[in-house]
Amino acid sequence: MDTQEYIVNMGPQHPIAHGSLRLVLRLDGETVVEVTPAPGYVHRGIEKMCESLNYRQIIHLTDRMDYLSALMNNWLVSKTVEKAAGIAVNPRIEAIRTLMAELQRLQSHVLWWGVGGMDLGAFTPFLYGFREREIIGTLFEETIGARLTMNYIQPGGLMYDILPDFAKKVKDILAYLKRIIVEYDTLLSGNVILQERLRNIGILDPKKGIALGCTGPVIRASGVPYDLRKLEPYGTYAQAEFDVVVGTRGDCWDRYYVRIEEMRQSIRIIEQLIDNIPEGPHMVTKFGAKIKVPEGIYYGHIETARGVLGVTIVSDGKSDTPYRIHFRSPNFNNLWAVTALAPGWRIADLIAIQSSLDLVIPDIDR
Amino acid sequence: MALEPAAAKREKADRPAVQVPPDKLAALALRLRDEPALAFDLLLDHTAIDWIAENRFELVYVLYSTVHGHYLMLTTSVPRETPVVPTLSAVWPIAHWQEREVYDLMGVQYDDHPDLRRLFLEDEWQGHPLRKDYKDDYMLGLPK
Amino acid sequence: MGLVTDRLPRVVEHIPGGGILITSIDALINWSRRNSLWPLAFGTKCCAIEMLMATGAPHQDLSRFGAEVARQSPRQADFMVVAGAIIKKMAPRVRLLYEQMAEPRYVIATGSCAISGGPFMYNSYTIVRGVDEVVPVDVYVPGCPPRPEAFFYGLMMLQKMIWEGESIARVGRRRKPVMAALPQGIKPEDFRDEVRRLLESENDINVDEAAASKIWLKKVDEWMAKHLLKP
Repeated sequence: MDTQEYIVNMGPQHPIAHGSLRLVLRLDGETVVEVTPAPGYVHRGIEKMCESLNYRQIIHLTDRMDYLSALMNNWLVSKTVEKAAGIAVNPRIEAIRTLMAELQRLQSHVLWWGVGGMDLGAFTPFLYGFREREIIGTLFEETIGARLTMNYIQPGGLMYDILPDFAKKVKDILAYLKRIIVEYDTLLSGNVILQERLRNIGILDPKKGIALGCTGPVIRASGVPYDLRKLEPYGTYAQAEFDVVVGTRGDCWDRYYVRIEEMRQSIRIIEQLIDNIPEGPHMVTKFGAKIKVPEGIYYGHIETARGVLGVTIVSDGKSDTPYRIHFRSPNFNNLWAVTALAPGWRIADLIAIQSSLDLVIPDIDR
Repeated sequence: MALEPAAAKREKADRPAVQVPPDKLAALALRLRDEPALAFDLLLDHTAIDWIAENRFELVYVLYSTVHGHYLMLTTSVPRETPVVPTLSAVWPIAHWQEREVYDLMGVQYDDHPDLRRLFLEDEWQGHPLRKDYKDDYMLGLPK
Repeated sequence: MGLVTDRLPRVVEHIPGGGILITSIDALINWSRRNSLWPLAFGTKCCAIEMLMATGAPHQDLSRFGAEVARQSPRQADFMVVAGAIIKKMAPRVRLLYEQMAEPRYVIATGSCAISGGPFMYNSYTIVRGVDEVVPVDVYVPGCPPRPEAFFYGLMMLQKMIWEGESIARVGRRRKPVMAALPQGIKPEDFRDEVRRLLESENDINVDEAAASKIWLKKVDEWMAKHLLKP
């Protein structure tokens, strides 16, 4: 029988697009021969916009790239600017930043679990995942004022101080979440259909993964223990004891389970740090003071929920706006892995691979 | 520096940074990846800076070694009128994607790139937006 | 459905008391339409998490309004929630989705990016300043991102508009309840002319005309002629 390859467009508006991602698939029947991502449907030109804003004003734009790790994005730019300009922050600020980042990581992984279940056809995890997200989001809203786009961690400190009962509320949330992760395992992880759909699909070889620029849970599932919180501790991560979760085979199941275990590790980190928040002011520089960065190229990076987010700030030493700023976005680099992982699998497997890479599309396009 | 006599230390960076001329770039990249003492296997970032006052583009590569844990920032300068560099997508596959972005937004040409076309913007877009002399009637500036 | 909207009004208006029949049918049709609006799951950016996903979630429940059945295909959807920034590359696709929806169709623009370009209004070279340059918008929900409760208020306003403003006697035309609240320092004289114009123009909207008179429409038509309608 004569067969013919045909090209199908999984266009910008699609149930599993997670935003507006376009994939051009070359199919032979139902088997994927080649996947070409065509991004750019949410490209707003953030890097050009940042060249006309000063170092405090670019924080609100970093929220809107990978909005599920908004606080970590803010922390990255604040930390790089502080190191470049020579501003030292006190231990209270570092402790609160670390706690907020880990809570945000929990929130992001919980949403990934919910949406991942929905992609594979199970709608119930979506409702469970968002229920947990609301609980953490309420805590953020009391402290910061916003649920999604935070603009909280500024160069020089934090926008607002935490409330006195912050520690108690966080402990209640952790007690609740520990039970919930067990519930997630019971609900979805042990399900035989999920295991059949995820085991041995889309295996990523560790050397190839590094050559393709993958970072975060994607590369950790293939066995490479590349976690910036352990390798170059920032904030107060050095004071907490936690494990770097590493997978063995690098298939979709490993990528799935690495994130579930990371949730447990995040809970462990928060438990160790929540009682020892030192006293002090929440902002070391005067709010509204100009921040000037000396001339040079500065590169800083942080471990977000999806991988290594990096920023290259180039300053010409003359003004208080960056001359050029470039974000190394984890999703941009992880997306390229789908061209290496998908060929040879069916379309349903492509969806499982895509959901296990956990992409947020505005971060790809910036 | 011991490897490559044409390389010079780049001042004013927060990590070890080296500057090379563009014709030595491809050979140096291969050696950086393959020598066991260096083993730079992860190309974290690749970007370009438009130094319009000095009439050049500066291309920056941030490299990391997962084996040894050290960083290197590799920079090279090309003239603004004819920005041509060899591609590094044979050395680090992720460079394919990152170079397309730099071509799209800055207009730097890469020799022997497998698929050099625009990534984010439409194919018919005129100009390269991240250049400092990019003029566009559509953009709205901040009001005074 | 077509029989009721095409033939019935003309037949009935000659009968004395026929207006009552039309208003009762209107009440039934509008009530059933507004209580089961099915959104099109189309979100580009951060607002999609809050407006489309968090509203469908247990804490803020969209199914109280009959709207939790988010359809993936525009052919099956009643209204489109534009959640997120629309850029030039995406604008023709938004228009295409709008045109694929079956009438009567509504658009809610949520978030400041969809209303006016939002944080990206200045110095961005790709943003479309407001999705109302591409499709006619019925309700604007401000915020960045708006709270889910704000979105529900917008949805309730849309329901009110359907309940009060549509009739089978005038198909394709709708009336919008334009409610204004006076900000600090603004006197009524400042905007009296603008309000008069707004009330007169929004009092009776011909939806097809509004859809055909958008600033971006010519560019979208060129794109469609070039990419879709090739021989």
